[in-house]
Amino acid sequence: MRQRGVEMLVTIFAWLSGLLLLCSILAVLVYLLVKGYSALNLTLIFGETDPWQAILLRERVFDGLFPAIVGTLALVTLSIIWAIPVGVATGIYLSEYAGSFSRKVLNLCFDILSGVPSIVVGLFGFAFTVFLHKHYSSQIKPCLLISSIALSTLVLPYIIRTTQAALEAIPRDIRLTALALGATRFQNIALVLIPRSLQGIMSGVILSIGRCAEDTAVIMLTGAVASAGIPAGLTSQYEALPFFIYYISSQYTTPEELGMGYGAAIILLIICALLFALAFVARKGLSHATLYRP
Amino acid sequence: MRTLWERLAERFALLSAIASASITLLILLFMAYMGLPAFKAAGAGQLLLSPWDPYAGMYGVLPMIVTTIRLSLLSLAFAIPLSLGCSFLITAIAPAPVARGLRRMIELMTGIPTVIYGFVGIFLLVPLLREMLESGSGMCILAAAMMLAVMISPTMTLFFCDSFDRIPRSYLNAADALGASPIQKLFHVTLPSARAGMLNGVVLGLGRAVGDTLISLMLAGNSIDMPQSMLDSARTLTAHIALVFAADYESPEFSSIFTCGLVLYVFTTMTTLFVRYYGRSEAGRA
Amino acid sequence: MKKFVIKHVAVPLIAMTISALPAFAADIDAFRGEKGEIKISGGTAHIPVMKDAAQRIMSKNPGIQISIAGGGSGVGIKQVGEGLVNIGNTGRKPTDSEVSRYSLKMYQWAVDGVAPVVNPRNKVKQLSKAQLAEIFAGRINNWKQLGGVDRKINLYTRDEASGTREVFWEKGLSKGRIAPSANVVISNGAMKSAVSQDPYAIGYVSVGHIDRTVAAVTLDGVTPTIKTVQDGSYPIARGLYSNTKGTPAGLTKKFIDYLYTPSGKTIIKKHGFIPVR
Repeated sequence: MRQRGVEMLVTIFAWLSGLLLLCSILAVLVYLLVKGYSALNLTLIFGETDPWQAILLRERVFDGLFPAIVGTLALVTLSIIWAIPVGVATGIYLSEYAGSFSRKVLNLCFDILSGVPSIVVGLFGFAFTVFLHKHYSSQIKPCLLISSIALSTLVLPYIIRTTQAALEAIPRDIRLTALALGATRFQNIALVLIPRSLQGIMSGVILSIGRCAEDTAVIMLTGAVASAGIPAGLTSQYEALPFFIYYISSQYTTPEELGMGYGAAIILLIICALLFALAFVARKGLSHATLYRP
Repeated sequence: MRTLWERLAERFALLSAIASASITLLILLFMAYMGLPAFKAAGAGQLLLSPWDPYAGMYGVLPMIVTTIRLSLLSLAFAIPLSLGCSFLITAIAPAPVARGLRRMIELMTGIPTVIYGFVGIFLLVPLLREMLESGSGMCILAAAMMLAVMISPTMTLFFCDSFDRIPRSYLNAADALGASPIQKLFHVTLPSARAGMLNGVVLGLGRAVGDTLISLMLAGNSIDMPQSMLDSARTLTAHIALVFAADYESPEFSSIFTCGLVLYVFTTMTTLFVRYYGRSEAGRA
Repeated sequence: MKKFVIKHVAVPLIAMTISALPAFAADIDAFRGEKGEIKISGGTAHIPVMKDAAQRIMSKNPGIQISIAGGGSGVGIKQVGEGLVNIGNTGRKPTDSEVSRYSLKMYQWAVDGVAPVVNPRNKVKQLSKAQLAEIFAGRINNWKQLGGVDRKINLYTRDEASGTREVFWEKGLSKGRIAPSANVVISNGAMKSAVSQDPYAIGYVSVGHIDRTVAAVTLDGVTPTIKTVQDGSYPIARGLYSNTKGTPAGLTKKFIDYLYTPSGKTIIKKHGFIPVR
């Protein structure tokens, strides 16, 4: 009898927690949608400027989210460009070439790196910039380039781990087949192993993209500013969507600006949701595309 | 038989590995290097153990350390029961389609940006707390802890579910064969075997709570006082870094943020090491 | 009578306005054909003026890129001194040591004040200087002690890099203590949002930023408005400075000169400050 009572309590507790968690998150999302719904229109993104002129970069956009969206896109693209080669290569090295001692050391380093808080990574990026500024060239300042490098170190552990896990999950017989036919180690990796592990790597990459898009702490310290327009080049300061949301939340001067903040939050959510869905599709779809070549 | 390309590619892989690993060390070195002026000026003891009062020449970060500890422990106190309950639900209690759908939704939740939690917290949670508690501005450790718990719970839930899933089927089958109900199975077979995994999940959640910047920056009030209760406005190590970072390059104030960075780095490294070695020894035993 | 007015008043007036128009246009013309980048950071009170000026310049001259960041006066001085930005804004006069250390050149283009503010719903809108000091030191901690509701006073203050804080502390609190339990916000805009959202708040903000969302507190009988700052009856006044490392040249010089032109002064006035002659 007592057991029945305990079981009922546990059941109630479990359902309650599930409901509580779901309701809290739903509250967050619904609140955002309700408050930001009315702000979602082209003016939110382009301000007073004509959308086509803005997209073709012929006219500047003030009072719109377009520079922040472009800034985030540029930032994410750059970070991934730095992170993918280094991350995938390291993952390959870890799973294919490393001896057991170096594997232990490397795994330890990457575990530690993945646990480092994002603001410490941002602080590192800033300190590095100041160091270079003082000792090498006074032209070096916090900018898009530095932010993207710092952000790529943030997501490097994800890419390394997923690459390594994807490669190590390949069954032994598949690994050995090409080698038995006379392929070199490198040919084996490039032509057999990587295509098989592509879906794992891709989902890791897409999740890293999401991480880069939403991060605020790193870019706060390495080059994101409140007002900069479209970044003119790698060495310019830039605006970013999550930074805009943070900044607006404490410094809005009119209800319209606050509405822009809500709108920006919704746009950021949509971007992250899309990336997530993309990762899911990639996981399911890429394996089909690479392995069943007609 | 290895062509030049292949050798280059392999060299590149080695270099990438070395470069990535050295970043970990570089971060530590830079924190120490830039924080050196503060250590020289004040000494490690004073830095870590005294309060922050620049006008009195004190650049200690003790209030921030205490706040970080209180905030992360409080948020874990909310998050652990929540995550445990959800993981029970998904693993044992809910019917299979509901459990699958729930799991999908929780996976989606892990993708929500932290800045959004902070943003909604300021406009929804803070006024609510202010009216309910009838004192204070609403920006306090409690507000930040609640939002932080909601943020880390999905990740912890998924982690718990994964460690429950890793239990050998034979154990579960044995329990079924003896006629155990799902909840009995949960309590007497799954939980004890997954103990290591669960502890890992908790420590990981702790690491995330300690390292989070935006939520505490936006919701905890950022006062420099030592917090007396969870209803007080307070400043965490991470928020302190964000607030002070651009003030000055050589002043002791600026160097103090590297002390914060160092403390954070050391703490998260310790939790990482703990997870590795404890997890490994438990797995060895089981 | 009508003929007199038209001949001696209206026509000269119209003539003066028409002759001034080229002057307005000429202010922006100084930037025509220029290309380059200006990086600005520092005082948050200056941001609305900077943004407005930057917008006007950038919309007429697509080759110019102006980026504006905040951070507070301390940040402005440090960043311009280290060469990270071209112009560092401060809401207080840079100290002699700062000037000599970074070879700063100061340009004051406006006069502003710093005023204590409360939520518009707060009944308590008049304080004496002594009371203000007691409130910020934490010794008076409930609104009912001042004739308001029975709720704790929520203090809001600025971070250490803030020139607004420096001026308020020196002239408003006579260098008195600010309670460490005060909530810290990072800019004038943030102070306004915080005080306008919290019915039991008290903070301090640049006079030029005051609008319907916050209520200025009358101090010793003087209400802080831009007029009382100008005629000196409100004592907590300060200048808005733009500082450069060494003598400015090129685009930076043109930007600073722009702030002194008639269109610059219009912008400054529009945002609630008093332009300096």
